[in-house]
Amino acid sequence: MIGDAFVFDGVAHLFNFDAKNPLGRPGEMFSQHIYAFHQALTPAGETVLPPEEFLRQWTVEDIRRMVYDESDTDMLCAMPLPLTDLYKDGLSPWEECAELASRDPDRTVFWGSVNPLEGRKALDLMERQVGEFGAKAFKFYNVRYDYGSPFPWRMDDPRVAFPVFEKAQQLGVNLIGVHKGVPLGPQPIEHTQTWDMDGAAANFPDINFVIFHVGLPFLDEVCWQLIRHPNLYASLAATINFVVRAPRMFAETLGKLLFWCGEDKIVYGSETPIWHPQWALKAFWEFEIPQDIIDGYGYPQLTEQAKRKILGENLLRLHGMDVEETKQRLGRAQSH
Amino acid sequence: MADVSGRYLDALRDVYDPCCREKGISVVDMGLVRSVLVQDGHARVELLLTSGWCPFAARVLNDVHDRIAALPEVADAQVDVVWDEAWTTDRLSPSAARKLNFLPAPALISDRDAYVMAHTKEADGDR
Repeated sequence: MIGDAFVFDGVAHLFNFDAKNPLGRPGEMFSQHIYAFHQALTPAGETVLPPEEFLRQWTVEDIRRMVYDESDTDMLCAMPLPLTDLYKDGLSPWEECAELASRDPDRTVFWGSVNPLEGRKALDLMERQVGEFGAKAFKFYNVRYDYGSPFPWRMDDPRVAFPVFEKAQQLGVNLIGVHKGVPLGPQPIEHTQTWDMDGAAANFPDINFVIFHVGLPFLDEVCWQLIRHPNLYASLAATINFVVRAPRMFAETLGKLLFWCGEDKIVYGSETPIWHPQWALKAFWEFEIPQDIIDGYGYPQLTEQAKRKILGENLLRLHGMDVEETKQRLGRAQSH
Repeated sequence: MADVSGRYLDALRDVYDPCCREKGISVVDMGLVRSVLVQDGHARVELLLTSGWCPFAARVLNDVHDRIAALPEVADAQVDVVWDEAWTTDRLSPSAARKLNFLPAPALISDRDAYVMAHTKEADGDR
């Protein structure tokens, strides 16, 4: 817990940045982009790793140490990356994420991930990830590089996306995340935009969809979608890491989300190990939207109640977990 | 001398962030250019990004650099992204504001729910 806020971190990846892992130049660019984010947004006074220490294979123990030993995090989503067209092992193999979750079965939740373009194979893998490894949700990525060139798919495609949503529901899973905005590597921008989320949300009203990274830079579009669809949510993963380097920009983003979408629709994610989770967590807990932005634009203040919801309570609800019971059972006193 | 309204801006009126190219909104219309200072042949351009996640920042920086560096009185050019000011919709040109469906500042509307209701109906009517 940080203060009295239960912290449920929505995303950590077990990256394998080993130099032998990328399948070609697009994979190498993807890795370099992620390293650039680490360098650019880690604030002064925190450790910026040299490339040789960052661009390596991260281990289960690295993630557990950073998240549970070195930060005030109470729960975590272990999230694979299924980029098997960019990296030999997809960059964050689902099997290792399942292993990460198995180490702390009460605290770490495994999210599955498949490539919907693989049809039957993807559906079979979803069954396995839920049945054998206890996946509680799925995360998808809309741009593939099959056959050496960008190969996008849409969340509102009845032939590609809807079968995996239907399969998720058959398996008892009603929580689906999707990477939006923030193109990494040579991804075509149009397919990381969020236009397809209306169709997904409207056709599957019983599934809650989380738009990761708030879909930045397409913030106004995402706000309109969250306003109109009760089953759409926005994750601050990676966005929260602007809180120290660019606090006014972060305040603008958060103020807009709070006013238009409300504090119940926003969830937290650390993106460990791209950044160490503790500095952004602490800065967010202490963050206030500057008064001149509130006075000038009419945005609401980021209250402690909103912080508690964003840092953990909303994601607990999305996982079908009782907030108070889980806080009592798993909440750890702040120690950092 | 500093110049954000004259020929230096004119030189940038056909430089586009790829997100806005199809709408025909240049970096000038988006309000990304905070200042252009040219002194003794050295040009310095300050840019604001609409988002820290602007995926094309490097490309926009290069395009702006090349356009300014091509001016006859400029010997070398430097383009910097500045972070001490946040880009807001106030910076859009009138034509860009008409083309984009940005949400207004809350202080400019009297009733959030009424605004949402009116514009949701409008959006549904468009479809």
